[in-house]
Amino acid sequence: MDNHNNQKSLLVSNKIDELNRVALFLDELGTSWGLHDSLAANLNLVIEEALTNIILYGYNDSDNHIIEILLTRGDGQISITIKDDGLEFDPTKMRDPDTTLSVEERPVGGLGIFLIKQIMDKVQYMREGKINYLILTKNITL
Amino acid sequence: MNTTLIMSGDYSVIIVEGRVDTTNAGEFEKEVMAVVESGSEKIILDCSGLKYISSSGLRVFLIVHKKMLAKKGCLKLCSLQPGIKEIFDISGFSSIFSIFPDKQAAEGD
Repeated sequence: MDNHNNQKSLLVSNKIDELNRVALFLDELGTSWGLHDSLAANLNLVIEEALTNIILYGYNDSDNHIIEILLTRGDGQISITIKDDGLEFDPTKMRDPDTTLSVEERPVGGLGIFLIKQIMDKVQYMREGKINYLILTKNITL
Repeated sequence: MNTTLIMSGDYSVIIVEGRVDTTNAGEFEKEVMAVVESGSEKIILDCSGLKYISSSGLRVFLIVHKKMLAKKGCLKLCSLQPGIKEIFDISGFSSIFSIFPDKQAAEGD
């Protein structure tokens, strides 16, 4: 296995439509890395949730911004790094929703970050200068 | 994402296929709410062809559920693929929705 094939990256701009490109990218990556469909879908899901937050709430200007998504596999895990130059936001500090509430009591929304935390094994956040780094790690059995 | 409405006995069955994500959840909401607002009291969301859902899609399911409950109507889901069921389980949605293995079971209950 060459190292080159163990890393894939995609640059997207801060527009919701870019999620369609992310889906195609994950499809191709799933095939290339031989990932189970459900794992590829879950990786797509966590990336969508993170990107949606960045695109909708991360910027207070109307400029074009580039967000970098880097996937790396190795040592029984897949890690996803999402790098953006938006406002500082640490999703690991968000409170989890109460998933035991009744339909009437359940607030609409607030599930995105919770899904990321539940699906991935490790969620790390760093701010360096004006850049947010979100590093998501999933343990996999090969 | 694609939705198809079929009438089956007392039920309006909405078949949802493909992906429901942030790019099309608004459209999905509009299509399902049109059925809710047309006066259907019994709705089945047939998810056999639903391949992917994100929190934006889950949000629509919850909105429709709340709306149907307020109308004292009945909303059932059927035929969730394992990957979708996993997301429903994580979100706590499996315990607030009536989920059936297939359309026949949903209609028979």
